[in-house]
Amino acid sequence: MEDYKNKLDELPVDIKLRAVDRLKIHLMRQKYGYFSRLCLLLALIGPGILVMIADNDAGGVITYAQTGSIFGIGFFIPFMVLMLPVAYIVQEMTVRLGAVTHRGHAEMIWKRYGKFWGLFSLFDLVVANILTLITEFIGITLGMEVFGVSPMISSITAIIVIASIQLFLRYFTWEWISLSIAVFNLVFIPLVFFVPHLHWGIVAKSFASWHIPGGVSSLFIYVVLANLGTTIAPWMLFFQQSSVVDKGLTVKDIRDGQIDTFIGSLIMVIVAIAIIIITGFTVYSVNHTVNLNIQNILSIISLKMGTIAMKMFALGLVEAGLIAAIAISASTSWAMGEAFGWPRSINLPPLKGWHFYLPGLISVIFAGSIVLIPNVPLGFLNLTVQVIASIFMPAAMMFLLLLLNDKEIMGEHVNRLWQNISAFIIVGFLIIMNGLYGVTVMFPHIFG
Amino acid sequence: MNENKIIKKVNLDEDWEEFIENEGLLDYNKIPLKRAEVRGWIKIAFWFLRIYILIMVIMVIIGFSRIN
Repeated sequence: MEDYKNKLDELPVDIKLRAVDRLKIHLMRQKYGYFSRLCLLLALIGPGILVMIADNDAGGVITYAQTGSIFGIGFFIPFMVLMLPVAYIVQEMTVRLGAVTHRGHAEMIWKRYGKFWGLFSLFDLVVANILTLITEFIGITLGMEVFGVSPMISSITAIIVIASIQLFLRYFTWEWISLSIAVFNLVFIPLVFFVPHLHWGIVAKSFASWHIPGGVSSLFIYVVLANLGTTIAPWMLFFQQSSVVDKGLTVKDIRDGQIDTFIGSLIMVIVAIAIIIITGFTVYSVNHTVNLNIQNILSIISLKMGTIAMKMFALGLVEAGLIAAIAISASTSWAMGEAFGWPRSINLPPLKGWHFYLPGLISVIFAGSIVLIPNVPLGFLNLTVQVIASIFMPAAMMFLLLLLNDKEIMGEHVNRLWQNISAFIIVGFLIIMNGLYGVTVMFPHIFG
Repeated sequence: MNENKIIKKVNLDEDWEEFIENEGLLDYNKIPLKRAEVRGWIKIAFWFLRIYILIMVIMVIIGFSRIN
């Protein structure tokens, strides 16, 4: 036994901590029975649920709220149900890639396809992450204002909380603290039952009479693209793969990783539908204008559902921003570490892993400071996030598909035919919607 | 950390080195990864990507110039 301890001590500190976690998994695997199997699953889940809940970020919550407010539930509830397989198919590929190669997405692109594409992916990811982080801080400060907290206080507090979680926790604790914060994302689900005059029959009918309200318009294309953009985003690919690697999942754990990703996708879609139902039944019924910002939506929710419901909604917005900021800043750190070959693990102590933590922390501090500047052009910022993500997502998907079809690295875990067909349909849909959006930007009145 | 408690319970059928390798507990920075050969349909995919990026960048420039 002493022998194992000495061998553990010989490993670098981040790998040693991962080895201890893997020894626990090894012990669990030796036990039989349903309860032991459940314990093993609970120990292995995390990255999938975390990435999907973080995907319901502040921008996502605002997008779903605006979607319900502008279009009601008619089109977008069935659309969100369709997003479940989309999110699962895309993210499941990162589980296999991470578990088989033990390398992150940025490293795989950099080393398999060269510096140019590696730098291209890294640059896009980091810029998109910084801009997305700004939208997370907008969500946090707006949500906290409802509770009477000034943007300065909420922004600084959020920076301290995020920095502490990243710096001082080992991976296992980091994941459980993050998942505990993520639980608050579920706050939107019970709110649905307090929506006045909610008719489940109308919700069910939306599936039978699926149609585009008012026909195809520039606004409709924009909202579809925004919803698609909040369901699958480049940072999610990088985050989940790196997270799978840092957690130490192997090919034996792929099934559990798939279950984890499915549970996460299901939660993400249920929360998104809950938000669309809330605003579809409260805001859409009283206001059909398209100039709805989140403050207007919160006021109408307060009017129709009461102050407590509005505060719960605001709390959900704060949580959404916070959990996404944790995940996005971690994805920046992981990607930079993978690209430049630094030691990269949440298990690293702050001083030993300072250059790993630094990019994520700088982006958090930058985003937290930007939102405090008065009259910052938020609309322009959101558009830029959208544009960068739109350009980058098909590219990121292409690299994912290339890697998942690479027998040299994936062996027997390469994509099956149905997985390739599904992924190609998703990429095709993304490219068509991006193209249509580009056309509407150049010719704004083409669809009326 | 209950590291000692875990180690006491460990009964590795395989040897330690094999366990380390199977669990991916290696420093992958030190293990080189061969660059992929870009040929056939992969080459086509890369050209498609270049064209796609070019078209999107042109659209972005036009879009942003209209905003300003």
